[in-house]
Amino acid sequence: MTGQTEKAKSPFDRIIDAIEWMAALFVGIVAANIFIAVVLRKFFDTSIPDSYDFGRMLLGILIFWGIAATSYRGSHITVDLLWTGASPRMRRFIDVFATLVLLFVVTVQTIMLFDKVAVTMRDNVLTYDLNLPTWPFFAVAWMGDVCAVLLIGIRTWRLIMQPEALEDHPEIKTNE
Amino acid sequence: MELSTDAVAVIGFVVLFVLMLLRVPVGMAMGLVGVVGYSYIAGMGPALKLVGQTSMRTVTDYTFGVIPMFMLMGAFVSVSGVSRELFRAANAFIGHLRGGLGVATVLACGGFAAICGSSVATAATFSAVAYPEMRRFGYPQSFATGVIAAGGTLGAMLPPSTVLAVYAILTQQDIGKLFMAGIVPGLLAMGMYVITIVLIVQCRPDWLPAGERKSFGERMNGLKEVWAPLTLFLFVIGGLYGGFFTPTEAGGVGASGAFLLGVLRGKLDRAGIREALLSATRTSAAVFTVLIGALLFGYFLTITQTPQKLTEFLTGLGIGRYGVLALIMVMYLVLGCLMDAMAMIILTVPIIYPVILQLGFDPIWFGIIIVMTVELGLIHPPVGMNVFVIKSVVKDVSFMTIFKGVIPFVVTDILRLIILIAFPIIALWLPNRL
Repeated sequence: MTGQTEKAKSPFDRIIDAIEWMAALFVGIVAANIFIAVVLRKFFDTSIPDSYDFGRMLLGILIFWGIAATSYRGSHITVDLLWTGASPRMRRFIDVFATLVLLFVVTVQTIMLFDKVAVTMRDNVLTYDLNLPTWPFFAVAWMGDVCAVLLIGIRTWRLIMQPEALEDHPEIKTNE
Repeated sequence: MELSTDAVAVIGFVVLFVLMLLRVPVGMAMGLVGVVGYSYIAGMGPALKLVGQTSMRTVTDYTFGVIPMFMLMGAFVSVSGVSRELFRAANAFIGHLRGGLGVATVLACGGFAAICGSSVATAATFSAVAYPEMRRFGYPQSFATGVIAAGGTLGAMLPPSTVLAVYAILTQQDIGKLFMAGIVPGLLAMGMYVITIVLIVQCRPDWLPAGERKSFGERMNGLKEVWAPLTLFLFVIGGLYGGFFTPTEAGGVGASGAFLLGVLRGKLDRAGIREALLSATRTSAAVFTVLIGALLFGYFLTITQTPQKLTEFLTGLGIGRYGVLALIMVMYLVLGCLMDAMAMIILTVPIIYPVILQLGFDPIWFGIIIVMTVELGLIHPPVGMNVFVIKSVVKDVSFMTIFKGVIPFVVTDILRLIILIAFPIIALWLPNRL
């Protein structure tokens, strides 16, 4: 891990780091939001307006932006049984195939999510306490998915044209 | 030619496994098969609509917030060096006994797992913390790695366990009750691992030498270091048990508490905070991808009536409810050779759960049994995730050596499963008092 951070990073890698950082920042904000809401409710008998709505919408944002970075880094939960035993040539074929499928699925998801954002805006769905429109939060989350499509596209291109530019594949997933 | 729903279901499962073997992310494969299969039966329009609705609904579901929050808590605790403190404390008291370092590893793994919630992370951490110490005192490689692999599995049993939380969400069970149900079996697991080590010492007295005897002062120092993480654990789980927090709140409070304790005790610097936040984000994104895929796949299962048909098939086999349960557990052990514990739970529980209800088993108890079975899959040959993790940290050990060391603990695990199946009260006693 240290080795990776010490390596000189290209501007593109910096952008990916920034995307991942944005998601990471939202994890911290969600935790802080919950903590402050609990403290205010239990000890001061008051609450942050729309704490619940903010919490769940920030959660949505962090997950979609997190998926963008996870997709680019190839750290999704996968079954590596065949890949581990394959030759380097076969591994590359498997990786390109898997990334193309990923690109297709996330593209469809992004198109359909746009529909969901548009419907939310049209229906003027509001938050519970402050009556704020929810669609801007959904739109920020959707932008994470747009980023995912772009990053997976770049990953596919790099896998085909310059595989050495991608980081080593994580063979062990620690998602549990 | 129009295919029957049964044929569509079978084709769907075959395509799903082919895609997964070709390293398509598990969640994406499930989502793709689910939507294509659903669209074949119900039409393209409704199927595509499900994609946007399900994705957004899942990621903005407050209940699911429990996952990233407990992951963040575990990450903060992990980078704060709590594992080392727990091991040092346990070692100070029992390290001077034969096999004491092994017992200290089990106890520290249990303590760490109780805050971290991840088996793989527990195994990875203790490979770096406990393995060098055990080797220093001449413990064989096989035992040292085996006890860490087994100790790591405690992560999914002792609360807060992310796998149990996901099971609770999928089956609409109370997360708090499931966490409580994991406590006694988790403690039983620790106790049985300790007994296993004692038996090994009895059989081969020279195999596990005694470590250094620590002074009274050193023991007290060891205890002083662990008060903070243990207080955090008791606060979070106590708050959950006492109805003070919802599970998501418990996670958020736990994560914030772990952050504050780490910073105030000088154990968490900027790099540590960064590492913890990124780790929680990556893991949460990966888990949510599988969750979204599983929900989309769930629509396909519903429209093809797969769970109902599987229930009819299994209950019609005439092998009794425990026979069906045994079949299900064997399936999990086999699947454990292929995939991650979390993915396995998310993929299979929606299909298996109706069968379990139909057979009259308690859903809370089944959650514990299934998580224990899945955890066994993390260490049993030929592919155990914890074994791979240890191998990635401890470079100079072969897979065969680790598996050799794991065998006594696999036997213990099987015995524990039999005990829990025979006496469900062990798991259900505590949640029934809630």
